[in-house]
Amino acid sequence: MQQILFAFCMILLTIVVYFLMTRIYKRYSYSFLIPVLTATTLIIVILSVFHIPYKSYMIGGQWISSLLGPSVVALAYPLYKQRHFLINNLFSILGGVLIGAISGMVSIGLLAKIIGINQTLILSIIPKSLTTPVAIEVTKGLGGNVSMAIVGVMVAGIFGAIAAPTIFKIMRVYSPVGRGIALGSASHAMGTSKAAEYSELTFSMSSVTMTLSAIIGSFLGPIVVWIFHI
Amino acid sequence: MKKFLNILLQICILFIFSYIGAVIHNLFHLVIPGSIIGLLLLFICLCLKIVPVKYIENGAGFLLSTLMLFFIPSTVGIMNYPSLLSIQGALLVAAILLSTIITIAIAGTASQFFEKKAQERKDDKECSKFSSHSA
Repeated sequence: MQQILFAFCMILLTIVVYFLMTRIYKRYSYSFLIPVLTATTLIIVILSVFHIPYKSYMIGGQWISSLLGPSVVALAYPLYKQRHFLINNLFSILGGVLIGAISGMVSIGLLAKIIGINQTLILSIIPKSLTTPVAIEVTKGLGGNVSMAIVGVMVAGIFGAIAAPTIFKIMRVYSPVGRGIALGSASHAMGTSKAAEYSELTFSMSSVTMTLSAIIGSFLGPIVVWIFHI
Repeated sequence: MKKFLNILLQICILFIFSYIGAVIHNLFHLVIPGSIIGLLLLFICLCLKIVPVKYIENGAGFLLSTLMLFFIPSTVGIMNYPSLLSIQGALLVAAILLSTIITIAIAGTASQFFEKKAQERKDDKECSKFSSHSA
């Protein structure tokens, strides 16, 4: 009974902190105030203050995590809504997404190997360009660390959205299609919200790319790991 | 209240797809995550009109709008790895930043190139259609 109550408290804590941080983010909208970052920090502080180990927290936390599976499945809905758009631009989208996914995974794999980062960490950041729920699943499959994977995804997302405009200028990427695919394949959901600032077309491109990258990336991840002996 | 039940029921449908995906994943020992298999199944079912869109749209919309909440418990797990705040952690972040720059540059340039090619092909087709017309 006590354990159920405790689990319930942990769920409540997570939800309350999340909504509080979402409100703060909406009010000030700085990209470093994204709720995942602030809510996570606050929860870690609370757990440390009350000496609650992560394992106990997850008795409640796992119930929230269990919604990740259906959330990934839910991505089929926006993809379905944009199916006509996808078919009309099939050639550029598929080509761009494939190249984006390959360059994202191969570059991080090689860079991390050159620097000499240990294997578990490399496996955790290989899916960093995929949307978080998918990155979690891919990391689990590869044998990496889930928390680390999420940090990698966040870093890639936030930084990509900030740096993209400069990169577009240097590389002379002016077309909405090119920009959308670049943002979606490097910085998933955060890139997509940045893409919404450009135009409707850039946004659609980016969101379709994000979903396709997730699908292609989950096939590609194990292949990249196998080829480069990570 | 009715809307709440509707969303809950639709999430259950999405859960079923995710579960079927997981079963397929385990059955055939696939490397692709079960939820991605579920995604593909749902997409096919939607396209073939086996599952009408209105059965899942509210549930999917709700899940995708609160998506960030669902990965907070996993992110909190970082508290077990204080070593990340070290030199190796900093190097790792640097590698991710560099890789992100590379990805944006390559994906953007390549897609722009593909788009131009696709456009040219389309123009060519229209041109040849026009010329055959005039001939």
